[in-house]
Amino acid sequence: MRRIGAAILSLAAFLAVWKIVTVVGDYPEFILPAPERVAEEAASAIASGVLWEHTVTTLLEVVLGFAVGATAAIVTGIALAKSILIERVLSPYIVAAQAVPILALAPLLAIWFGGGLLSRVVICALIVFFPIAIATMVGIRSTDPLLSELLRSLGARPAQRTRLLEIPSALPVLFGGLRVGVTLAVIGAVVAEWAGASVGLGVLINIANQGLFNTALMFVALATLAIIGLAFYGLVVLVERRLVSR
Amino acid sequence: MTATSPTAKALDVTLDGVGMRFVGPRGEVTALADFTHHAPAGSFTVIIGPNGCGKSTLLRTVAGLLAPSSGAVLVGGAPPRAGDGRVGLAFQQPRLVPWRSTLDNVALPLEVAGVGPAERQARATDALERVGLAGAAALRPRELSGGMAQRAALARALIGEPAVLLLDEPFSALDALTRETFDLELQRLWQERLWTVILVTHSVSEAITLADRVVVMTPRPGRVAKTVDVDLPRPRPVEMAADPRAAALATEVREALTSTRALELRPWAEQEGVA
Repeated sequence: MRRIGAAILSLAAFLAVWKIVTVVGDYPEFILPAPERVAEEAASAIASGVLWEHTVTTLLEVVLGFAVGATAAIVTGIALAKSILIERVLSPYIVAAQAVPILALAPLLAIWFGGGLLSRVVICALIVFFPIAIATMVGIRSTDPLLSELLRSLGARPAQRTRLLEIPSALPVLFGGLRVGVTLAVIGAVVAEWAGASVGLGVLINIANQGLFNTALMFVALATLAIIGLAFYGLVVLVERRLVSR
Repeated sequence: MTATSPTAKALDVTLDGVGMRFVGPRGEVTALADFTHHAPAGSFTVIIGPNGCGKSTLLRTVAGLLAPSSGAVLVGGAPPRAGDGRVGLAFQQPRLVPWRSTLDNVALPLEVAGVGPAERQARATDALERVGLAGAAALRPRELSGGMAQRAALARALIGEPAVLLLDEPFSALDALTRETFDLELQRLWQERLWTVILVTHSVSEAITLADRVVVMTPRPGRVAKTVDVDLPRPRPVEMAADPRAAALATEVREALTSTRALELRPWAEQEGVA
């Protein structure tokens, strides 16, 4: 109850400061629209169904991209942790892929995978991959060697050691990676949409900005993205609380 | 020495010229050299020796965790394999899995062996009762005292009904009084089931209280310096230490340990190393 109260209070303070800045600065609307203007624009975008159409597409990209990216990252992270050879062979490519800006890669991936959902899921998965793979690897390597020896003394097979010991040991660190990854998934979706898409919140930002010169609508799209990010982050934290109980 | 229950399940342990070399960061280390000992089925052997003499390494070869570099280790006539169910091992630290309840920790060996949940629960409950931890089944390891945690570890080592029980200084982290209680309880548990026990310790009094035979080891590379048979009647209470025969045996073990000390005056780092 207190947490919710604090959140409402902080949101109210944020809106108040925003309002004061617009009144004091008296900026033209295309630079900084007042909060009630953005609310008006949001209401009309919701009423016309425009916002919903773009949001659903972006949501789908985020969910699929995160699911695919996180799954691949966890499997890769386990392999990296368990085999020094695999780590030596793969890690330069993984680091290089991460170091190349996703903004530069996105158009290329759009050419390879087409302009459809597939290329956007791939871009999203790619940006999600790195923090989760590294967190999984670090987490599994943090397994207590004394417990590893205990499981070996019980005759546990490698798969049993992974399931009974290594993955549970890795969970706290792994969830750190998932928290970072899920917010990156939202960024990935927008970048992917900018590389070639006709619908999505990233597209809506472009339309509002360059087509309609409607800064208030752009704020609506940005706020929606922020809410999506917050919601998924909260979901990850919720799952984390259920699974990691120490 | 006298059996109070059948020894049907116990197996003998043969260590025949066991040698163990490791390649460490500063070159090759010989942990064990030509260690020979035979522990008959149902006997209680205590191995005593200075730090770093390879006692733990020796137990790991009997548990099937390490293969000896030379010589042979046989449990019931066959080389041991980790998880073959013949050997139970309790470590110096309790090594409980922090996110599992005490019951689930004790049941872990059965889970690894593929035993179903209902049977696991029943047998783990039974094992906890045997070590006096019936009320702690639902507790997490961090809620247990050091003594309780070590009891749970003992229950886990016993749950597979092993033919050979290996104990690597299991009570060394406990205070002296708790330790005496544990020694008595271990003696009682052993007399009930009569597994073959090999226990590693630093404590001469613990050795005399528990052992049929005490094996004194030399500093690294570990080999048998002397064996002392302890043919005192059981059960052996704590007060037995005052018995002249017990005192004489303790002196014999101490002298054997002291006579190896000349070799022990080496830099500390050299003696530690391979645990």
